[in-house]
Amino acid sequence: MIEYDEFENRMILKLVYYGPALSGKTTNLLRLHDLLEKQGRGDLTVLDTKNDRTIFFDLLPFFLVAPSRLKIKLKVFTVPGQVKHDATRKAVLQRADGVAFIADSQLSEETTNFESFKNLEENLQFVGLDIEEIPLVIQFNKRDLKNTITEADIKGTWGPTGIPVFLSSATEGWGIVETFGTLVGQAYDHIDKKHYLKDKHGLDKETFIQQLTRKINEVSIIPSPLAGEG
Amino acid sequence: MDNNKTIEYDYIIGADKNIRDILKVSDITPLLQSAVKAGAAYAAIEDDTGKALYQHSGISESPSSPEVTVKKPLYIEGEVAGYIIVKADDGIINTIGELMLASINTILKSSYKALLATETHKTVVHQSFEELLETNRKLIQSENKYRELANSLEKTVQQRTEELRQAHAKLLTQEKIVSIGQLAAGIAHEINNPLGFILSNINTLKQYVSKMKGMLVFYRDAVEKGTVEKELLGQKWKKLKLDFVFQDIEDLITESSGGAERVKKIVSDLKGFSHIDEAKEADADINKEIDRTINVLVHEIPGDAEIIRNYHEFPLFACNPADLCQAFFNIILNALQTGTKGLKLTITTGYSNGNIRVSFSDNGPGMPEDLRNRIFEPFFTTKEVGKGTGMGLNVTYEIITSYGGTIDVESKPGKGATFTISLPVTERAKQI
Ligand SMILES: Nc1nc2c(ncn2[C@@H]2O[C@H](COP(=O)(O)OP(=O)(O)OP(=O)(O)O)[C@@H](O)[C@H]2O)c(=O)[nH]1
Ligand SMILES: Nc1ncnc2c1ncn2[C@@H]1O[C@H](COP(=O)(O)OP(=O)(O)O)[C@@H](O)[C@H]1O
Ligand SMILES: [Mg+2]
Ligand SMILES: [Mg+2]
Repeated sequence: MIEYDEFENRMILKLVYYGPALSGKTTNLLRLHDLLEKQGRGDLTVLDTKNDRTIFFDLLPFFLVAPSRLKIKLKVFTVPGQVKHDATRKAVLQRADGVAFIADSQLSEETTNFESFKNLEENLQFVGLDIEEIPLVIQFNKRDLKNTITEADIKGTWGPTGIPVFLSSATEGWGIVETFGTLVGQAYDHIDKKHYLKDKHGLDKETFIQQLTRKINEVSIIPSPLAGEG
Repeated sequence: MDNNKTIEYDYIIGADKNIRDILKVSDITPLLQSAVKAGAAYAAIEDDTGKALYQHSGISESPSSPEVTVKKPLYIEGEVAGYIIVKADDGIINTIGELMLASINTILKSSYKALLATETHKTVVHQSFEELLETNRKLIQSENKYRELANSLEKTVQQRTEELRQAHAKLLTQEKIVSIGQLAAGIAHEINNPLGFILSNINTLKQYVSKMKGMLVFYRDAVEKGTVEKELLGQKWKKLKLDFVFQDIEDLITESSGGAERVKKIVSDLKGFSHIDEAKEADADINKEIDRTINVLVHEIPGDAEIIRNYHEFPLFACNPADLCQAFFNIILNALQTGTKGLKLTITTGYSNGNIRVSFSDNGPGMPEDLRNRIFEPFFTTKEVGKGTGMGLNVTYEIITSYGGTIDVESKPGKGATFTISLPVTERAKQI
């Protein structure tokens, strides 16, 4: 949590899209920006990119107001995936309320995915966050491509961890909102435990998710959740 | 997982920015001024609570037509962060308002991005710096710890070494004192004997001298009185048993000088053994040194014992001869102390492959393996308290190894013991 000001009655939450370079983190936010209702969110700020590679981060802000008048701002960040930007990843990860790990489904990227996940574990620990505690979802992106890791292999590897796993194609625009919705739901549970969003602020999980994932009409999305919600 | 320290930063990426953080006076003032120049009576920027942050008014307040006010919201991250307020004539207000809004939004957006970028950059740099500091601090800490440890270790080692050296030096002198003490009784006896008869001979000689004096005085008186008579003189000579006296004086003197010779030899043996008058380092003839050692032990050797010297010629050995004698002494003394009836101690010296070899082989009780393995340890002794120090063979070992040599023992219970010393001859010594 970036900030919680009880006096001002506002809460700023942080979600982070993490993953190896070129796995589609920035594209995920672009898609969310395109797919989701303009009302209740700000513009996508793409901060300093170089040849489409994120150097600092991208930011897509959302906001909603709970029945208690608590203003909740949810800032969704991407980190730069390139190995050399590790310091920035740490800085962005600081005080995150949830992480979406965007993996690249291409077979050639298997080790890169594992290394990036290891890096996530290390950096979470570095910034004082517990990987067992923090809301976490995994997305296997680029399912539209050939030579990708099979669903069975993904299930075999990640199924036992209990972490929700989604298949997606950010360029085709499916699996993106589902990933986001599940992460938002987990983040709700996590924060509700401590700040009683439902009991104190009258905000239930369904409303929370629904408010943040309202789609612009007529856009068809093929959902493809792989594992159920953890 | 290790426990990396968590580092907190002043700036958290994502922390809200207000309009004042983002817009700088220098960016805004020219805009407000140009709005007024363009005809606006008043131009200002307010924050989200309606408090004016920056404002500019026209000089002349002479409205030609009714004045209108426009208030347009400014957004940061999609949220209203403040307002633009423009007061102007009805005719121009919209144009000025739109222009103002467009320019300020542009400035706001680029300034917002620039601010995020710089703050992120600062955070990252700060964080990397903090990380570096932390790493550095840890390094210094562990380095200090190790340095301290190393320092104190070095000190402790030095101290212990010094303590050991002193203790050892003390033990060495003690061992020398003890072995010399063991020698002393025998040596005292050895010296006492000749001294005893020399003293009694001197006493006898004193009596003989007074007899001769008596004879001479009798003769002088007779000459003075003119009563020199062959018979009287002969009677006196006989009475004083001067024939025997003269005969005995010769024996006594021969015997006494023999005794004195013996004392002189003992002293010189002792001196030879201790090398008291010699330079510390010398080129020693090992065979001679062994002889010297045996010489001071002569009185310890029982009558039924036999020492067989099986010597061979070899180069001189550069060493401290006194040390070497001490080394041999301790081995020979041990053999003698076994109290073996009909002891046979064979000392063999030889030279092969650049090594001088000396072996001491006795027909004593020997020793079992567990004992054999421990005899070179300091303080290891099977002898009764006061008799053995357990330092003898340890001292020998120390001396031999200090010359790069080795000492081995071969022994079985009831089969005697053989100590073999091997000393490497240096080039320098070989040339001599
Ligand atoms: N075929 C395919 N290409 C994708 C998909 N998602 C992203 N890409 C492409 O992959 C490239 C990298 O995507 P980005 O979203 O910039 O990757 P990123 O994870 O933000 O990369 P970094 O900022 O360097 O960490 C772009 O060319 C995208 O068009 C996908 O689902 N399918
Ligand atoms: N020639 C020998 N034969 C049998 N035992 C021996 C002989 N020389 C030494 N030892 C054994 O080695 C032990 C250690 O000898 P040493 O170091 O000279 O100490 P110490 O003579 O004071 O006992 C002796 O107590 C004895 O048991
Ligand atoms: Mg990116
Ligand atoms: Mg001894």
